[in-house]
Amino acid sequence: MNVMIHDLERDIFHSTFSFESEDVQIISDEGSIKNCIGCFGCWIKTPGECVLKDGYENMGRILSQADNVIVISRCCYGGYSPFVKNVFDRSISYLLPFFKIKRNETHHRQRYQNTFRLSVYFYGEKISEQEMETARNLIKANSINFHVPEYAVSFFGSLSQLCEEVKMQWK
Amino acid sequence: MEITIINGSPKRDKSTSDLLMEYLISQINDNNEIELHNIKNDTFTERQFEKVQNSDVLIFAFPLYVDSVPSHVLKLLIELEKRNFATKNIVVYCVINNGFFEGHQNRIAITQMKNWCRSCGFIWGQAVGIGAGEMLPFLKDIPMGHGPNKNIGSALKCLSKNILSKSAGQDILVSPNWPRLLWKIQSSFSVWYPRAKSNGLTRKELYRRIQ
Repeated sequence: MNVMIHDLERDIFHSTFSFESEDVQIISDEGSIKNCIGCFGCWIKTPGECVLKDGYENMGRILSQADNVIVISRCCYGGYSPFVKNVFDRSISYLLPFFKIKRNETHHRQRYQNTFRLSVYFYGEKISEQEMETARNLIKANSINFHVPEYAVSFFGSLSQLCEEVKMQWK
Repeated sequence: MEITIINGSPKRDKSTSDLLMEYLISQINDNNEIELHNIKNDTFTERQFEKVQNSDVLIFAFPLYVDSVPSHVLKLLIELEKRNFATKNIVVYCVINNGFFEGHQNRIAITQMKNWCRSCGFIWGQAVGIGAGEMLPFLKDIPMGHGPNKNIGSALKCLSKNILSKSAGQDILVSPNWPRLLWKIQSSFSVWYPRAKSNGLTRKELYRRIQ
């Protein structure tokens, strides 16, 4: 299964992509997402599932079923936009609370046996060189923490360019 | 000098950011007016925005979420940038703590904060990135600068000196003065397993896979 997490407006998304018949789960902003409250309930109360029931509580399970995770996000200071970041903040149930040492750093152990490839498409009119460098470092760090074996990051000055690229790659 | 602290920990109970800010405030409160704002979500009042605008120094304290700035803090950063406060020379400092052992895992969030600072036209002061943040509430009876808190205490002392003189300093990334292997074992046996047990879960249930 492919998972697409995006921050595009509903009209723009639906006029650009048509995934209805394909094996794609779309995670979009329905206006209901709550921010992670740092309670660790997804690890020590309802393991594998967030305690906040707002439609985004199953991100860990969704990632466990993914072969590819495709992210479309505005680039904000070298990271994701608030909605996309919120989705990732609510996804830590994909991992276990326990630690392992990897590349001489501590990281969380895997809950699931699967891994997924991560493709991140950032857009923004004026993404600076520093922001691009930060974003590349962020996706590399995310890939280490989420045990992603293969990842790609790209930047687009306009949404239309980005959509063309995504359509070409994931049609 | 007017100092505004924005604490981005969303926790209901006392957080690591709360403890770090308590200590920092004790080091910088002489002759300074300090306003502390806790943001548990993305709401910030007009009065709070005004306070930020009139500050000489802005300090952010927050936990690292998935290698970067938590989403609710990010929303506030975007709102602050829109306010166009660049007419005043506000100096920005950050104290970021993460759940991993190594303080250097805060480095990406620090560069995000620097990018934000540049976008707003603010002046970058300094950041302190702290590893094993979840350990600090267990060590609250040990004074800062001593034992396991030695490195954190020294880093915050350096930060407080720079804040008081509105100076810039090199970012400091610290891990606790404690063996990493011991911390790793303790996190399972003193934190995760007992917390799970208090919720009526067995150790095995913590490994649950949802199909």
